[in-house]
Amino acid sequence: MIGMLIDVTKCVGCEKCVAACVKANGCDPAAADRDRATSPDGLSADRLTTVQPIGWDHFAKKACMHCLEPSCVSACLVGGITRSENGAVVYDPDKCIGCRYCMLACPFHVPRYEWSAKVPFMKKCELCEERLADGEIPACADACPQNAIEFGERDELLRLAHQRIGENPDGYIDHVWGEHEFGGTSVLYISDADLAELGWPSPDTESIPHLVEPVMHATPIVGGSVLASVAGVNWIVRRRMQQMHGPDASSNGHGGGEQ
Amino acid sequence: MSELELTTDRTQRIKDVLWALTFAGLVAMLLRFVFGLGATTNLDDRVPWGLWKIFNMISGAALATCGFTVGFLGHVLHLKPFDRMVKPAILVAFLGYGASLFALLFDIGLPWRFWHPFVHWNIHSFLFEVFWCVSCYFVITFLELSPTLLERLGLAKLRGVLSKAAGVFVIIGITLSSLHHTSLGSLFLVTPQRLHALWYSPIISLLFIISAIGGGLMLLALIKTLHSWWYDPSRVFGGTMVREGVVCKTCGGDSENGATPEGPDLHVVRALVTAGAWVLSVYLLLKIGDLVLRPEARAALLAGTWESVLYVVELLSAAILPVLLVLIKPVRRSPYALAVTAGLAAFGLALNRVDVGIFGYFRDAGELYFPSAIEWVITFGVLAMAGLAFFFIIENFSVFDDRWKRLADSELKFSSSFDRLTWVWNHRLMTGLERASLIALIVLPLAWITLYPPFLESTPPDTRAPLAVDAARDTLRIDANRDGLDAVFAHTAHKQRLGGEESCVNCHHLSMPADRATPCSECHRAMEAETVIFNHEQHLAWVAEDKELGGWIPENQSCVECHSGQARSAASAKACMECHREDMHAVDPANGRLAQFAATSYHSAMHNTCIPCHTENALTQNRPELDRCTTCHQFGVPEGLEENLQMRELVEVRIRRQ
Repeated sequence: MIGMLIDVTKCVGCEKCVAACVKANGCDPAAADRDRATSPDGLSADRLTTVQPIGWDHFAKKACMHCLEPSCVSACLVGGITRSENGAVVYDPDKCIGCRYCMLACPFHVPRYEWSAKVPFMKKCELCEERLADGEIPACADACPQNAIEFGERDELLRLAHQRIGENPDGYIDHVWGEHEFGGTSVLYISDADLAELGWPSPDTESIPHLVEPVMHATPIVGGSVLASVAGVNWIVRRRMQQMHGPDASSNGHGGGEQ
Repeated sequence: MSELELTTDRTQRIKDVLWALTFAGLVAMLLRFVFGLGATTNLDDRVPWGLWKIFNMISGAALATCGFTVGFLGHVLHLKPFDRMVKPAILVAFLGYGASLFALLFDIGLPWRFWHPFVHWNIHSFLFEVFWCVSCYFVITFLELSPTLLERLGLAKLRGVLSKAAGVFVIIGITLSSLHHTSLGSLFLVTPQRLHALWYSPIISLLFIISAIGGGLMLLALIKTLHSWWYDPSRVFGGTMVREGVVCKTCGGDSENGATPEGPDLHVVRALVTAGAWVLSVYLLLKIGDLVLRPEARAALLAGTWESVLYVVELLSAAILPVLLVLIKPVRRSPYALAVTAGLAAFGLALNRVDVGIFGYFRDAGELYFPSAIEWVITFGVLAMAGLAFFFIIENFSVFDDRWKRLADSELKFSSSFDRLTWVWNHRLMTGLERASLIALIVLPLAWITLYPPFLESTPPDTRAPLAVDAARDTLRIDANRDGLDAVFAHTAHKQRLGGEESCVNCHHLSMPADRATPCSECHRAMEAETVIFNHEQHLAWVAEDKELGGWIPENQSCVECHSGQARSAASAKACMECHREDMHAVDPANGRLAQFAATSYHSAMHNTCIPCHTENALTQNRPELDRCTTCHQFGVPEGLEENLQMRELVEVRIRRQ
């Protein structure tokens, strides 16, 4: 269960992480540069991570949060987004049909679409899957000159987060963002500025799959009962008509012909 | 059957428009695939779902519910006025779903993979259920429709089998429909943070299916009325109706009273509208209950935003007005009033889906979405194709009536007339290809010219972020912390003024070893604090220690570690970052300043570079405007500073603060 801990107090907003991310994911640097000005939050299909300002002098890196119960995974109709064993939420472009429901489903507005491509795919941070396989740490965490991005096991990072808050209670708000929100995320934040400004909900916000999947799982019951009741009504009506008019009654008397 | 002769074909103008929309749609469809989604639609990362998904698919499916509701009323319950509407209802459902699915092929990014959900399953996804149910139901509607088509095409054996299985199809169709109409609503359950509170309801799936049932019946009533208006007005509008183009020859062929004031089919329309209104009244009660029980929805309604206005309009049109109108007796007797009622309800239903899927997300997206011309043209092109198919099928198969059989007997049902568009006499129900070809000749090039996307593209502004410094750029926006309080810097103009290519050194250090395009932020890392960058003495020691060169003394040897043979030459030195990037961090205020080893804050670095020169020139050239904050900070200055503050004063303020 890997994750990242982002310390907003350390980030100076240099966007070295963005440059490293662009390079590691083979994105177009010119497009990444342009999207920084045109995208409302700085993310785009060519900028899978960005740094968002909070107020005048605070910065927070934004990318996929790698939720523990990801809404996108639950929403994707072809199962093209999965949560891998190490906790990273990864995308399989070979399955994708381009419906963009993941973009609607993500509570953090993270998935982006290659709108300008003729064969477009969804793009998002995958926690540098390939680099991890090579034994490296994600490019952004590697590049950060301020050590604002810690990479490691989520449990360790949680402990570290609480430790940092405990050691410097005046320097942080006593809250680890991502510990509980939406059922918890693998990317955690500690900060001295309130991240609610960046759209973070209250800590008791339920995970979206937890909210909707019970409804989805009721489908066979609903379908089965509709099927049974309609078939039952059909049988009763037919039987009554046969009793009243003889065996042929049910097969005529409808059809719209006007003679 | 009353013998009517129409002097003109009333569907002619409508078909012309449909042909025109179809051809324009074909052009737009081609452009959509040639240029891709981004260039041809106004969709973006904030608004990923637009007109095609919401209006064509979700509104379209909602309006096409009559296939299963009338199927249930007529085919399962055998209720009297509805059994005659089963075939038209199935046709509407077949074409409605067909058009919806066809439009989706343009919306999804990789349409050639539309079959993927059949193979790759995610049983937790609402969209997966919607896809399966909708595509299976589309096949079912085709199977339900096929006996009608086969009646004319032959294959009596197959027709017999399909007719026998009709009951099974209807039951399966009802099940699939009730599943996907609820799921179409549930699709939006995944966006509790994003969808506007007025529409995000826990019972949205129930609201969706109930409103779709009611609105679908209303649409079928409207189509029945229109069908009669086009082909046989007396059936709905009554035997006495003699209007332009319509000559009633013998009224009341099947009515003993002679000229009846009421058409013999009006009761069918009335039954549909009344049934629709009953369902919509249930919907209205659910909506009111939903409003009462959800305080956030009540608050949103009373907030008086444009969303609340839209909500009221939608509810008035979809439920309140239709239900009230049906309560009035004269409305129930007038084919016109019934048509208006049905039209209102169908419009309200479509609007509701657009509200939920498009308008309800505007506030969260922080931007307004208005579909592009190509989106509109494809939307209506697809609908027009379905409309033409509708006309073709009702004129050539026994859907509403057996017109085609009678046409086969007697050649002329419409009297000949001169057509001003083609300059020919036309005397057929289907006017034939020459008319459509003429429309194609006009519409195809026109649509190509007006829709061609490169004409519509706007060029992005020339100012770029200065992060990855590019010396070729004319204008830079310097805004290290991206708070919008940026300085607009005319880079090229400054370069020319200060002496061309050689002038870089005036502002840039060019002192980072082996690097000519070092961003300022490389060293000036913190916005408001100094940064430790390089301690040469310490480096000598570290390198000597690390390489076991024997401490301080043999410094010539340790130099080589960084300065590749030539000591103290910037050109030959390694870049700092080649060895270590992690050692650079902001100066800890508690430990005080490390004067000679620290880079100033980014803020100071920028100001100290510009201000002295600007201040000097303001005095020497008598150009006081050069000395103002707003000369560079065109988009505002930090709070607490006056707009027209002089730079010198600013520096003084800063010094005093420190």
